[in-house]
Amino acid sequence: MNSILVLIIAAVAVVVGYGWYARRIDRDVIQPDAKKATPAKMYMDGVDFTPASRNVLFGYQFKSIAALGPITGPIIAVQWGWFPAMLWIILGTFFIGWVQDYGAMMMGVRRDGDSMGALSYKLVSPRARTILMIFLYFYLLLIMGSFGNAVGKTLMTNPKVPLGMIMVVLMGILAGQMTYKWRKDIILTTVVTVVLTFVGIWLSTTKPVADFFTGLYGLPESPVWFLGNTRAQVIGTLLVIIFCYFGSVMPIWSFAQPINYISFWIVSLGVLGGILGMIIWRPGMGDFPAFTKFTTASGPLWPMLFVTIACGAISGWHSLVSTSGTARQLEAETDALPVGGGAMFLEMVFATVAFLTATVAFGGLKGYQDAGGAAKALAVFSGGLANFLSHIGIPKEFGTAYGSVFLTIMALTIMQLCVRFMRVASAELLGEQMPVMKNVHIGTIVALILTLIFVWVIPWLTIWSAFGAANQLMAGLALMLVALWAMSEGRKHTWALYPAGFMIITTFAALLYLAYDNFFVKLPKAATPQAGIASVLVGIIALVLVVAASFLIYDGWKALRKPREKQAPAKA
Amino acid sequence: MRLGDIGDKLRQIARTAREVLYGMTTYEWVQGTKRERAEVENLFLLISFGDLVGLPILPPYYTLRLLPYVVPAINRWKRSLLRERDWTDLTDLIEGID
Repeated sequence: MNSILVLIIAAVAVVVGYGWYARRIDRDVIQPDAKKATPAKMYMDGVDFTPASRNVLFGYQFKSIAALGPITGPIIAVQWGWFPAMLWIILGTFFIGWVQDYGAMMMGVRRDGDSMGALSYKLVSPRARTILMIFLYFYLLLIMGSFGNAVGKTLMTNPKVPLGMIMVVLMGILAGQMTYKWRKDIILTTVVTVVLTFVGIWLSTTKPVADFFTGLYGLPESPVWFLGNTRAQVIGTLLVIIFCYFGSVMPIWSFAQPINYISFWIVSLGVLGGILGMIIWRPGMGDFPAFTKFTTASGPLWPMLFVTIACGAISGWHSLVSTSGTARQLEAETDALPVGGGAMFLEMVFATVAFLTATVAFGGLKGYQDAGGAAKALAVFSGGLANFLSHIGIPKEFGTAYGSVFLTIMALTIMQLCVRFMRVASAELLGEQMPVMKNVHIGTIVALILTLIFVWVIPWLTIWSAFGAANQLMAGLALMLVALWAMSEGRKHTWALYPAGFMIITTFAALLYLAYDNFFVKLPKAATPQAGIASVLVGIIALVLVVAASFLIYDGWKALRKPREKQAPAKA
Repeated sequence: MRLGDIGDKLRQIARTAREVLYGMTTYEWVQGTKRERAEVENLFLLISFGDLVGLPILPPYYTLRLLPYVVPAINRWKRSLLRERDWTDLTDLIEGID
């Protein structure tokens, strides 16, 4: 299949999904009222509750939901063949993804801007809020492990990447200084820092720099140093950890925010260039099979495909952003569909582009496997992006380094904020019993040690599946909440209830499979202590999530029965 | 379509594009700055007018002189300070995670 045809199919899905299905639910079921005061207007505090234009919020929502998830998931999922991956991206968004994002946003608006924790407490049970916290903590831990693994052990081990990454960090710090201390114009700041970053990325491809990092890493045969990790991988992960440490302890305006800002330009210019190159090139999928086999390295197609591609089809994280962030800033109820639904459909297109880098950029299945395949999804993306960029005149060597820096910085900007969150969360949770956890540095170091264990011990594909499962459980809970909320308002609720049922059953099955696979298949075959520890860790996480999900299903079922019991006629 | 209409349409598209770009780039940064300022303001109000939210502080004379300037912010401050929060409220710390 040709890449342009895939893009056309995605565009048709947007037109029909957003223009017909989503609009119909919005108009006939939810019936938003443009004149009704939103929480942003009722509780305006100039910070959390602030009305903002729908266009601004659309940009904010899209940037908040689209990061590495929609890139990585599809690239891993094409190991089942291009057809199941493409089908899930399109149908997942069409029937489930936008339903969750938009539904959670409207629920937040109609319930006084309540966050997901408060909504779980009120609509399901007090225990549901605790379960959500468990999902959330594991989600963050697994995201740290999976992104840390992909960046520290794959991308950063390329000697042409570290300098580019260091340049992004330095330019981010410079942008913070120029804006806050020297009060320079934002356009000047942007031009100076982005141009210097590109110079840094180019410098990283030059021979002296590459030779320096090659020597530091002991390449080409980097010796094994620790827990089966090579010297290059240990140094790469330690660089990631150092970055996250500063991201967590430094004032957010001087480090995390300006680096995020610079990385936006680096990433969006790369994506736009890649799409342009693909349109000029118009490659086909070659011999890439529509379907390979039912069971791959990640497990059976059902249920594992549906947790492998989370963001890009449906992701539980979006419900948190939609309620705690965007719902409190909507100027009018009628803005919820373009902001929540629209951003999700745009993310589907983004995921489709990532899907194409795996399927068309290398000319077929062998090219995809040679580039690293599912086990090195980020390397596949940077290589694919370089191939696309080469069609607008950008040398492949620079394109690969650029793609790698782009992905590295995308992951690192998320990881630094995750550590920040984990530090705050552990201070809140354990601060009373263990006052030392309130210390910024101790909280950060604890979070980073946990991360290092995950990164050094657990294989990438396994950790990605567990991360996807934790994410999709949050999606199941969010959809259940939307259905319960619609029921409580006496509205039709099947549009959210069926997707909730599908997501909960599928994710439950995925977790059971992960627990079984790790305890009964991988553990007995473990050749090293490290592999054994990895199996036990993932197995335990899967079991904890299974138990939490069981309580959630039970409480959810009870909550679903309640409105029906109220509606049932009284017995004579 | 008249030339003026085309001009209006183009201006509207440019404004929309500018707003979307702002939402994707500096909006989060601006929000973060506002949040930091609000935290400092909250702290200042708490130590000077804590009695308004039940903190036993006897307002000194100079604090009372500030009262007229603080009155417009009292509602916002009380709502922000007394609002129930949990972990999920902290998720705005980590936008752009997925």
